[in-house]
Amino acid sequence: MDPVVWRSLAADIVSLTGEHLVLVAVSSIIAICIGVGIGIAGTRHRRLRNVSITVANVLQTIPSLALFGFLLPIPVIGGIGQRTAIISLVLYSLLPILRNTIVGITTVDPALREASTAMGMTDRQLLTLVELPLAAPTILAGIRIAVVTNIGTAVIAAVIGGGGLGVLIFRGVASVDTTQILAGAVPAAVLALLADGTLGYLERRIGRL
Amino acid sequence: MAYLSFREVSYAVGERVILDRLSFDLERGETLVLLGRSGSGKTTALRLINRMLERSGGTITIDGTDVQSVDAIQLRRRIGYVIQEFGLLPHWTVEQNIALVPKLIAWPPDRQRQRARDLMAQVGLDPDRFGHRFPHELSGGQRQRVGVARALAAEPALLLFDEPFGALDPVTRHEMQQQFIQVREQFGGASVFVTHDLAEALSIGSRIAVLESGKLEGLFTPEQFLQAETPTARAFLNTLPQGLGPPGARTPRT
Repeated sequence: MDPVVWRSLAADIVSLTGEHLVLVAVSSIIAICIGVGIGIAGTRHRRLRNVSITVANVLQTIPSLALFGFLLPIPVIGGIGQRTAIISLVLYSLLPILRNTIVGITTVDPALREASTAMGMTDRQLLTLVELPLAAPTILAGIRIAVVTNIGTAVIAAVIGGGGLGVLIFRGVASVDTTQILAGAVPAAVLALLADGTLGYLERRIGRL
Repeated sequence: MAYLSFREVSYAVGERVILDRLSFDLERGETLVLLGRSGSGKTTALRLINRMLERSGGTITIDGTDVQSVDAIQLRRRIGYVIQEFGLLPHWTVEQNIALVPKLIAWPPDRQRQRARDLMAQVGLDPDRFGHRFPHELSGGQRQRVGVARALAAEPALLLFDEPFGALDPVTRHEMQQQFIQVREQFGGASVFVTHDLAEALSIGSRIAVLESGKLEGLFTPEQFLQAETPTARAFLNTLPQGLGPPGARTPRT
């Protein structure tokens, strides 16, 4: 390959990887805040639990490409660009985080909840001292699934002008250029493996505590 | 005035009456055993005291104060509670588990730690050896010792025991009963102890309340219980092997 083309491609890989990371990081942080927050509230309100799980399930069944497309014409949150892509990724990441938060908390040993309440813990203390620490490995497992899936799904953000490594892949597909496709796909796969390894390590560390 | 007093206390879920107008008094230093078959309402009666359940009728007073007039969280922090499943926090060390209530009521950390160590020694656990262990590193008997120490930590005047030794093997259970008697002498407060084990009831109770289908069938001292003629008391006495009375029955403690 021509060194000039190669340098240009390398520069694209670096900048688009940066964009990809921003897409994944911002959407994951928002999804964690919403998913864990609603998950915790859902363990206290059965109706909220049922409604939120149903909504997240439905969102998950929408093909990712279609979800990006659905959001495009919606005022304020839609349109071409990174914001729409981030919103799609947030909606797409909610289910594993929400479900694992609810499962992690509701499966805490009832005897522990009974003893902690009988010792005089408030609901907040029960949550922060007992339920969340014990549910942490399960919640983290949900976050891990969400983040790793997110790295793959974020590739499609390029379709709606959201940037990221998908730009290289779609460009490669359009021009039947395998090098460009690989230039997008390989860094995305490496990012996914790194995220999986790091979060898996954290999960095991927390599980041992 | 009695320290703990039940007056016509009832508890119902919908139409189903679980406890029916239960009345008894308990003085400081006494251990009242609630004895009955499964489903007789004894655990329900215990849970009404610290408002883990809310009574449907009647009054429960502790030291003259209606438990209903006290904030439930504050009430529970003043009452020690031991359950059969131990309920120890698996991610906390033995020392942290024992100091749970002192931590909730914001004792200074040094005082919490010292109290936990003193109690470990009192229940027969070497503080240096066991203080930093986690519950999964202990045997069932050791876990229940931690459970008893935890209940005593914030110096409550009332202790509630819900079949605390039911999951232990007979030898460990006997050791724990002896330990309970020793600890009680130092504790000096009142205890309510739920069990369906007659030998346990006779050896540790200063009085035995027999419950049947949510009603108080009779209130006996251990000596009176051995002569009792009520149906449930007789049914329990019939479970004793012929000619073998429980050792504690002839020397009941108060």
